[in-house]
Amino acid sequence: MAVRGIDEKEEKKSYGSVFLLGSGLLVVISLWAFWDDNITRRPWKAVQAAFYRLDYRKAREAYDAEDKKLKADPAYQELIKKLAAEQTSLSKGESAKKLKALEADEIKANVRFGEIDQQVKFVKSELEEAWYEYDHAAQQGRDIKPYEEHIRGLDRQKAKLDPELESARAKRDQIRDEIKNIHAGVKELGTQLAKLAADRDKWLRVVDNITVKLGPLSFYKIPNIRQLALPEFDRNRFDEPMARVDRCQTCHLAINRPGFEKEPQPFRTHPRREVLLADSAHPPEKFGCTTCHEGQGPSVNSRQQAHGEVHYWEFPLLRGPKAQSSCASCHLDVQRLQDAPLLAEGQRIFEQMGCTGCHLVKGYEDIPKVAPSLRRISAKVDPSWMVRWIENPHNFRPNTRMPNFSLKEDEATSIAAFLWSLSKEEGDKWLQEHPAPAGLKEGDAALAAKGKALVESIGCKGCHGFADGEASTVLGKEKEIIPNLKNIAAKAGARWTYHWLKNPRDFSPTTRMPSMRLTEPEALAITAYLTTLGAKAEAIGGIEEKFQDAKNIKRGEGLVRKYGCFGCHDIQGMEKESRIGVELTTFGSKTLEDLFFGNRTEIGRNWDDWTYNKLKTPRIYATERVEQVMPQFNLADEDIKALRTLLAGFQERKVPAQYRAEHGQRVAQVVEGRRLMHQYNCIGCHEIENRGGFIRKYYDQNPGLTPPILNGEGEKVQSHWLFGFLKDPIPLRPWIAVRMPTFNFSDQEANALVAYFNGLSKVEVPYAYFDDRKVPKEHLDASRILFGKDYFNCLSCHQQGEKKPEGPEEGWAPDLNLARNRLSPTWIIKWLQNPQKVQPGTKMPSFFPGGPDNILGGKDERQIEALRDYLMSLGKGAAAPAGGRVASR
Amino acid sequence: MKTRNFGAFLLAAALVLPYSALAYDGSAVSDGGTISGVVKFAGAAPAAKKVDVNKDKEVCGKTAKSDASLIVSGGNLVNAVVSITDIKKGKKLEPIKVTLDQNGCEYKPHVTAFPAGSTVEILNPDGILHNVHSYSKVNTAFNIAQPKFKKSVTQKIDKPEIINLKCDVHGWMNAWLFVSETPYFSLTDNSGGFKLTDVPAGTYTVEVWHETLGKTSQKVTVKAKAEAKVNFEMGKK
Repeated sequence: MAVRGIDEKEEKKSYGSVFLLGSGLLVVISLWAFWDDNITRRPWKAVQAAFYRLDYRKAREAYDAEDKKLKADPAYQELIKKLAAEQTSLSKGESAKKLKALEADEIKANVRFGEIDQQVKFVKSELEEAWYEYDHAAQQGRDIKPYEEHIRGLDRQKAKLDPELESARAKRDQIRDEIKNIHAGVKELGTQLAKLAADRDKWLRVVDNITVKLGPLSFYKIPNIRQLALPEFDRNRFDEPMARVDRCQTCHLAINRPGFEKEPQPFRTHPRREVLLADSAHPPEKFGCTTCHEGQGPSVNSRQQAHGEVHYWEFPLLRGPKAQSSCASCHLDVQRLQDAPLLAEGQRIFEQMGCTGCHLVKGYEDIPKVAPSLRRISAKVDPSWMVRWIENPHNFRPNTRMPNFSLKEDEATSIAAFLWSLSKEEGDKWLQEHPAPAGLKEGDAALAAKGKALVESIGCKGCHGFADGEASTVLGKEKEIIPNLKNIAAKAGARWTYHWLKNPRDFSPTTRMPSMRLTEPEALAITAYLTTLGAKAEAIGGIEEKFQDAKNIKRGEGLVRKYGCFGCHDIQGMEKESRIGVELTTFGSKTLEDLFFGNRTEIGRNWDDWTYNKLKTPRIYATERVEQVMPQFNLADEDIKALRTLLAGFQERKVPAQYRAEHGQRVAQVVEGRRLMHQYNCIGCHEIENRGGFIRKYYDQNPGLTPPILNGEGEKVQSHWLFGFLKDPIPLRPWIAVRMPTFNFSDQEANALVAYFNGLSKVEVPYAYFDDRKVPKEHLDASRILFGKDYFNCLSCHQQGEKKPEGPEEGWAPDLNLARNRLSPTWIIKWLQNPQKVQPGTKMPSFFPGGPDNILGGKDERQIEALRDYLMSLGKGAAAPAGGRVASR
Repeated sequence: MKTRNFGAFLLAAALVLPYSALAYDGSAVSDGGTISGVVKFAGAAPAAKKVDVNKDKEVCGKTAKSDASLIVSGGNLVNAVVSITDIKKGKKLEPIKVTLDQNGCEYKPHVTAFPAGSTVEILNPDGILHNVHSYSKVNTAFNIAQPKFKKSVTQKIDKPEIINLKCDVHGWMNAWLFVSETPYFSLTDNSGGFKLTDVPAGTYTVEVWHETLGKTSQKVTVKAKAEAKVNFEMGKK
């Protein structure tokens, strides 16, 4: 029977297969979705799981190894045996019976105590109630007597119960103590065992960290993202502070854990973990990884993405030494960072090669011009030499800092002609005032030999080389910051050399060359020697006419302006010229779009390659239409990489103050003072900050004749003394032939150097004052004995005023009369305690520990203090030595 | 920078490796052979140079001193140390106690050889200030004052190294300590002779060191219970 509106056939049709298919699909899709969400799109989960397995396996192995060691340890076996014996004795025999009885007693005593305790509690409640009724009645003016009686009754009850409660408690406690005493042996053994097995059991904690226990089963924990946020570290495009999110440790799980040094990445321990990640330095829980290594912090979905090695990410991962670039974001004083050698070297090259002459970089604005002044150049050099030098300085001195501008000879001639004409007037005037020295004969071999001996003894070699490969301070791989003089005769004549040697600042007030306080015969001898080094340059034909040619001069001026010679040299009339190169303050932030590759196709399209090639061949990107003027510096590959490390750190974004290392005044003073120190090449002769003292290589046989090592000088000497000494040096160690030159430091410079040494030594108060009126007489008497021949015999080596030690001068030690004005009293104590620690390799031996028993009670500290007091009193009343005059500030 | 990482890796590797795998391993040696011979000096024997005693003459000037930096006796070299440099296993290494006397402002003996871990006692019978300054790099350098009242100081030397000992108070005073890693070392005697005993059979590098002439070495094969004769020759370069 057909019902209207219902299609029987349709009703009978089965959709089972469709539903089956549908549900099947749903199941498959659900499974796929689950799979995709948890596995395909979460590759880090597999990484973490792999790490858990690795961690577990290592912990297990370590546990087993420790376990084996422990089991072989007789002490451990003994303990185990003792423990087992103790345990059996508790479960069997006499003490077991006793324990059982005691436990039964404890239950009884507990019940008894509980009962009385409850009674007491009830009475207390009733008392509360009674007092309430009493107060209530009193407030309503009713009769309080019945309440009083009730209270008294309850009080009596409580008074009766209290002692009972106490005795019940005492009984219970006594039984508990007895039980505890019986268990004490087991407990004590357990503690001992745990102590012995601590090295093994700590691995159990490692396992606990990565697993969850579910009854008897144990599973690895479910992987999760390890995220760290550094609040306000970054700024968004609207310059609003935002957090830096760093998820690197989702995969790099062992970065701060020892023991994974040889595992494959991403599970390896940081190679410098102890130094760089340890608690005090950069704990990754606080700083994360991207602060130094960049990359794309929040990304965890693929290695390329996380490492930022994808097309549009501007901060790709900085691997290995490249991470040094980041140090400068937070550290002002990068020279002290021992783990950033490339960065420190790059900074030295940048500051000393003269880069800042053409390029402005914030923070590097005040670096003085690195090259000599050309104001009187016509009085100094040979004109033909000058032309050749400008044409290509590397021909004359391959390691000079002066770059090669790849000029043609006529261009070089024009530049020389311009500079010559500019300096002619000043130069001629100077020459008139400085006639050729009398007594200098050409080819005076004896005089030259004398000069050579002087050059080799007074310290010229602390800065200059005089033969191939001879150099003191080398910048980068091979650049010489101070000229090698092996061919000096080709450049300058005897007349100029003589007057220059006598007083360099008379010729050029801004020169870094100090006065060696030469006498006239000394200057003459050295001049004679220098004129024998190399031959006079071969004259270029018609050079004089060319120099006078006005057209040439005019063209030269244009070239000087074009190439920016005034960036490094002081040139008359060009003092106000601005730098000709581009500003580099944010050079490290330049994107590919900002970098001009010219027509070069063979160079990798990335910042690193662009910069490397620019420094290697500065005009490499020039095209037919785009000229480039940056000259060729001939830097070694290592130096280019060092410079690049520095440049990469010149970033647009600034790290906020709360993340930066301390930038206090002291740090700024150290940075400023060090620049000055480099500028005057103090490290040519002195070792400072454990670097330098290059002159020492000439004194292999006799290190006692070298200038002193100045590590820790700030702590050693009194600031006012150092100031005076820098301004006006006096010989402190007469046996040393090397002279501390007179640099004619300005007050500002001398102060900056004093602040530098104080800052290095972290001297808070530069001088601890010492009241010599309060020195006990006992100290002075004791010291006089200690000083004597039968004891320390100090004057066996030390000079004291007019008293000179025996033996050759090179065996002497400084004048003890100077101590009072020169040395810091606190330093003297440290020095006497252990001279080798203060200055490794010093000839001063340790007298302590082991002072004589019969003086000042045989106490070393008292003897040291007495000697300090005595030293500070020596030379009292005598005028302070010249170098020690207090300069007013 | 790669090299630095590699260096760090090597360092890590060195720390992880059991120390005993690198150091000398000593035990009783039976059937050992002997290496003996003399160290000859090439060229004419130098004339003995007198030392200029320029300080504390009343004590130091009592005895005449001559420069000990090159002593040749009958054409043979005295005070050279012969040692096996590449032996890893052999007789027991036993630290000893040696004495260095400064009597008359001169170290006696001028060269002392002993195994690492030994103790050196330095005596000062002179009654004046001396200082004992070790110009060492591997061991921690020491510089101990030895005033009149300190008749003796003792110093343990843990690591193998050739150490120059000087007294800075008396510039001419100079001694050498040859601290050996193995028990196979021998100081040449007054006729330049040396002898290394109980050497397990094998081929070794035998080296001669002399303070002025430097080092020279040759391969020597020793058979069990036999004596291998070998002579060296050293001269000024």
